[in-house]
Amino acid sequence: MTGLTTPESVAELRHELRTPLNLIIGYCEMLLEDVTEPDQRSGLEASLEGGRDVLTRVNTTLAPARSEISEAEIAALYDSLREPQGRILEATSTLLTPSSGTIDPQFERDVRRIRAAAERLLTIELPTTAPGSHPIHTREHPSAPEAKAEHPAHILVVDDQEDNRAVLERRLRRQGHTVTSAGGGRSALDLVGRERFDLVLLDVMMPDLDGFEVLHRLKQDPTTRDIPVIMISALDDIGSVVRCIEHGAEDHLSKPFDPVILRARISASLDKKRLRDVELQYLAEVGRVIEAATAVESGTYASGSLTQVAGRDDELGRLARVFDGMANQVKAREARLTEQVDALRDEINKAKHATRRTAPSTVPNLPAGELFAGRFEILEEVGQGGMGIVYRALDRQLGEQVGIKTLHSELLMNESVVERFKTEIRLARHISDKHVVRTHDIGEWEGVYFLTMEYVEGLTVRELLDTRGQLDVAATLAIATQLAQSLTAAHGQGVIHRDIKPQNLLLDGSGVLKVMDFGIARLADAQSNLTEVGMIIGTPAYMAPEQMLGETVDERTDLYAAGVVLYECLTGRLPYQADSPIMLVAKQLREEPQPPTAFNPDVTPALSALVLRLLGKAPGDRPASAAELATLLGKVH
Amino acid sequence: MPTILLVEDNELNRDMLSRRLERKGYSVEMAVDGAQGVEMALAGHFDLILMDMSLPEIDGWEATRRVRAGEAERGSRTPIIALTAHAMAGDREKAMEAGCDDYDTKPVELPRLLGKIEALLSSGA
Repeated sequence: MTGLTTPESVAELRHELRTPLNLIIGYCEMLLEDVTEPDQRSGLEASLEGGRDVLTRVNTTLAPARSEISEAEIAALYDSLREPQGRILEATSTLLTPSSGTIDPQFERDVRRIRAAAERLLTIELPTTAPGSHPIHTREHPSAPEAKAEHPAHILVVDDQEDNRAVLERRLRRQGHTVTSAGGGRSALDLVGRERFDLVLLDVMMPDLDGFEVLHRLKQDPTTRDIPVIMISALDDIGSVVRCIEHGAEDHLSKPFDPVILRARISASLDKKRLRDVELQYLAEVGRVIEAATAVESGTYASGSLTQVAGRDDELGRLARVFDGMANQVKAREARLTEQVDALRDEINKAKHATRRTAPSTVPNLPAGELFAGRFEILEEVGQGGMGIVYRALDRQLGEQVGIKTLHSELLMNESVVERFKTEIRLARHISDKHVVRTHDIGEWEGVYFLTMEYVEGLTVRELLDTRGQLDVAATLAIATQLAQSLTAAHGQGVIHRDIKPQNLLLDGSGVLKVMDFGIARLADAQSNLTEVGMIIGTPAYMAPEQMLGETVDERTDLYAAGVVLYECLTGRLPYQADSPIMLVAKQLREEPQPPTAFNPDVTPALSALVLRLLGKAPGDRPASAAELATLLGKVH
Repeated sequence: MPTILLVEDNELNRDMLSRRLERKGYSVEMAVDGAQGVEMALAGHFDLILMDMSLPEIDGWEATRRVRAGEAERGSRTPIIALTAHAMAGDREKAMEAGCDDYDTKPVELPRLLGKIEALLSSGA
């Protein structure tokens, strides 16, 4: 153990101890020259005597002739100073709280200085000039080293006594902290408003604005509320401690404080503050993730806004990373889709320019202007198909345009067929999707069955293909993605379309695809088995093998048809070419089509393979569902 | 009324000692560090200087040497009493070598210090 080993270090400690003694003795002597009141005189005399006793002990132990003093001897010296120090503290305490009358401000200030100097005595540390020297500790803490604080902090020391500030500053700096000090309450509040502090050490008794008031203001301001405050006061009574804690102080220390205790309390307060900060930051970051979730939902998520949270190495960080990744994927997919729809819209516009919508070539069965079923004013015929004629009409009851499709009477020749058809239509009515043309109702008028449906202004993919020949890849993907979505919605309601083909795919002006005639093909199916050959509705080019063979159809039957549509969009031709319907059917059942890449170099191998998979002969060869198709489409270009 | 320059960095020591001296009939001016002490000592006409030895940057010994050097050019000499709480063997000699006229230790024993001041003032008069 080192203690003091050089004459210089002995002299330095002597100097350190004598400086406060100089103040104690000097102020006492000076005040005694003026004071006449007996209580005050005896208080000052007791303080003076205490100071002189301390001086004697210091002079004896730290005599100039000595060049080496053991740590044990120094500890014994400090221990011996406690008693005279206690007398000074007690005497000054009494002087500061007179039982009667007011206290002269100058007198009070001087007594406080005496007291502050006495408080400092036992906190003075060994000079650090000698390497390995230790701070002074009493026997209770024999040789705890003044270790560097584990987490250096920025600490504000507030005390009106310059010496007290200096001691605290020096000690805290030695522990590795950054220290700023303020000589009064106002300047402290001023500093806190300008700089960021981790902790405030706040003296209670200050002339301009006392510690309680400063504490109160700090705790009222939301921006400073979380800074831990340790109150320091010479008042050791329980009431004062309680008041500090009640006002929101983190801790309370009474002067004179032991350096080891000071260090431990500061460290504990800072630890607590750090934990609270971590907690608050965690909550703030959870908030950010939630905010991001809301932003994704409303389509305003800015990628990278979770970067900071994603940097955490805990579960929340992982969540943020996964979330950011997902949000970016969704965004990229949306951007791609927008691009594809733009391409599609471009194709539509070109088609419209090329051929003004072809006027109906056949003579309408119902002339324009006729009131149909007492409610629908026929506006024009818009198409004819295998099952009937489609009109644009005005629903006079609702004042809205509707589509009306009359059905060939041969299709509905017996009651059971009509009933099954009605059931199918009722099911179809339940499909609510922006990519499905909504079926309103089924009715009969003058022996003619008809359907009313949503009227969509636009053109069919058939018309688009007839004009453009083939479509570019992006436009095809826009159709495919929307078709997959439409089928996912219908299949979810248990409705199989059975007749997906370009004629049934409507595109409105903005590129939104709507599938029509859900539920109607059922009629054709039912009939095709009942009636004579040739009654097969439409072209068999889009029919899956199982459908042609009269076997069980399911979702995958629609996927086959979708495959044919995509093949046609990409290549401008059907997968199988034949001179007669019989030959076509034979090829469809037996031959493998050429891949789309053979006809269109822009088609990627992945997309080509996906189309061929949709054209699988057995349902099991195809994607399992429309939803799966949608996912697969999201991955190809 | 003799005027004393007190060079002392510790605010409370300045306050205390200046008030005590003023009560004894001296006029006291104060400097807070060595540089200011040298400047004031050479600019004004003080009857005596009380010089704390442990000053930051320019310490009391160095300040005393500078005062003496400046005075040599002017041909005057103000008595200087060194004050120190350090009190190492040899301090006194060191202070005298630097140009001090006397030496006292802190804590200040006022009657002793006053004795030294009076002695220097009367001998230098």
